[in-house]
Amino acid sequence: MQTAERRADKNKAKAEPWRDPHAEGYVRIENITKKFGDFIAVNNVSLKIYQGEIFCLLGGSGCGKSTLLRMLAGFESPTSGAIYLDGQDMADVPPYERPINMMFQSYALFPHMTVEKNIAFGLEQEKGLSKTEIASRVTDILEIVKLGQFAARRPHQLSGGQRQRVALARALVKRPKLLLLDEPLGALDKKLREATQFELINIQEQLGVTFIVVTHDQEEAMTLASRIGVMNRGEIVQIGTPTEIYEFPMTKFVADFIGSVNMFEGQLIEDLPDRARIRSDELGGVVYIDHGISSAPGAMVWTAIRPEKINILRTPPQDTSENCVKGVVKEIAYMGDLSIYLVKIDSGKMVRVTLPNVERLSDDERILWDETVWLTWHASSPVVVTQ
Amino acid sequence: MKLSVARTATRDAPGRLGPLWTFLFRYGPPRWTEYVLRNWSGQRLVIGVPYLWLLLFFLVPFLIVLKISFAEFSPLGRPPYEPVFRWLEEGAVQVKLLIGSYVYLLNEPLYVSSWLYSIKVAFFSTIFCLMLGYPMAYAIARSSPTYRNVFLMLIILPFWTSFLLRVYAWIGLLKNDGVINNMLMAVGVIDEPIAMMNTSFAVYIGIVYSYLPFMILPLYSNLEKHDLTLLEAASDLGAGPVKAFMRITLPQSMPGIVAGSLLVFIPAVGEYVIPSLLGSSDQLMIARLLSDEFFLNRDWPKASAVAIAMLLLLVVPIMIFQRFQNKELEAQKR
Repeated sequence: MQTAERRADKNKAKAEPWRDPHAEGYVRIENITKKFGDFIAVNNVSLKIYQGEIFCLLGGSGCGKSTLLRMLAGFESPTSGAIYLDGQDMADVPPYERPINMMFQSYALFPHMTVEKNIAFGLEQEKGLSKTEIASRVTDILEIVKLGQFAARRPHQLSGGQRQRVALARALVKRPKLLLLDEPLGALDKKLREATQFELINIQEQLGVTFIVVTHDQEEAMTLASRIGVMNRGEIVQIGTPTEIYEFPMTKFVADFIGSVNMFEGQLIEDLPDRARIRSDELGGVVYIDHGISSAPGAMVWTAIRPEKINILRTPPQDTSENCVKGVVKEIAYMGDLSIYLVKIDSGKMVRVTLPNVERLSDDERILWDETVWLTWHASSPVVVTQ
Repeated sequence: MKLSVARTATRDAPGRLGPLWTFLFRYGPPRWTEYVLRNWSGQRLVIGVPYLWLLLFFLVPFLIVLKISFAEFSPLGRPPYEPVFRWLEEGAVQVKLLIGSYVYLLNEPLYVSSWLYSIKVAFFSTIFCLMLGYPMAYAIARSSPTYRNVFLMLIILPFWTSFLLRVYAWIGLLKNDGVINNMLMAVGVIDEPIAMMNTSFAVYIGIVYSYLPFMILPLYSNLEKHDLTLLEAASDLGAGPVKAFMRITLPQSMPGIVAGSLLVFIPAVGEYVIPSLLGSSDQLMIARLLSDEFFLNRDWPKASAVAIAMLLLLVVPIMIFQRFQNKELEAQKR
């Protein structure tokens, strides 16, 4: 029964409400701007977030993502623009009356209260909840975050991961319409972070709460999010699913910010609906792409190619006229699961290539330092951005 | 394990008294300097200095006062008194403790009532200081860092004038033809001067005014350290500003409240100058009685008994309270 329901939920998620232009956003952020004096922290941001989503705001420090989150929580009021939650205008609603809860980056657990008291705090503020009801809801949420036996402890007696779960439980026990998470995994070490990421998704699916997550960590955004909004200098530069953001970045900034990328400046010499050609001096060759760019021929564009989409050949391929460049291996970093090669191509630019270590190779099968190699890629791999 | 056993074995006396035993009897006074230099680390020496200070200037005088309080009244009105311990010829020790002074204190209504009055004045002064000082400390702690130091400076500034002068200045303000009465009469609010001098009101004014900084400073240093995201979290969880203050800020500022209250309450109980200058002669505070006993009646044993009683009655509850407070802090420590 439960699994059937969850599958139905997952199918609903697959329906991807953002593809439907008539869908009403559960959270609507309309032309929000926030200025601190002369500094524009958030610049005219509009967003629609749908029920049951995990939406990630991703960006470097100072990009305005935390300010946006704080405006949603009600700690900052926007200079202009409006926020609607479930159809209700949030402008005049103080934080303590919003059906929104937040998980703070520092967790902000009350040090003078036990875990149980911390979690019950929010429920005690609600009118018309009996003591037994509060107690049973606290017990239930402690069960969900697996902290049952720590109920009587104080925050300083817990580990970082346990504190993070208390903070999550404290925010979730109020059954908010919207949960805001500020760098939820930032304070955890790598192993714990990976485990917690999946736990977080499980809890979210179990309770069906809409999540907005703020993070600077693209890996965190990729695993958690149903959609990612990439922010830069107070503006949202691209919104899309993790795959869209990674595979089809729309600007140089997004391509560069998410993962690593090799960027070549070049001139568009042919642009047809089914193919395009770019001549790049930086590459020292021609890039052939199996789709159109729909830009003016002659325009200066950037071609972005992900390191894992490039092949290294030790002998020249038959056709070296397009999507091929010769170079010398300068650096090799063995990472275990994959190896990173830095190849200096003939034009002098360094190109980053990653290859999975599928097989154990003997010394003479392996690519070595200062070896001359040919780099090739498929015509579908490059992404062309114009700004 | 073996090592510690071996070390215990070489000690002259077991337990914590071992070093003291060595210090007192194996070395003896002529070689004490040698003992200290040989056995004490630098850290111990540093801690030793305040200990020595307290020993010489607090514990020894206290023991002298304690001894005098058990002595017989001498018509000369000053020492020497009979010794407490006397060696008798049969090889026995005679201990002579006269508790007459203490019995007198309990039986004399004047002492009991001024004792209660002192406690009352100190208690309410502490409450007033807290009520005035908490909002001030809170405001300073939440003000912008640029102004914060200015405000703190203003709190400390009165200390640059003599305490006595500041209390005298209040006479000029409070007396019948003083500044306050003259102004009120000039404005026409009152026709006759309000009698403020030589009342309990004046004593409260004087004590609250003088001790307010001792309340504000510890409260400020506590409030300034508060993590303000906790208040945001409380607000986020549905607590309005008042609720958030009561449930988050107030409990967390308890150590500051206790420290400030003790710093006001303890000296206020024994306050001598302010009630003498501003208070009435009908209702005396305990310190005034002590000084009268000492200087007017020249009854050193009774004066000493008053001092000892005052100390014990204050120290015992404070120690209990601090022990409780330490446990609380221990539990709260991050």
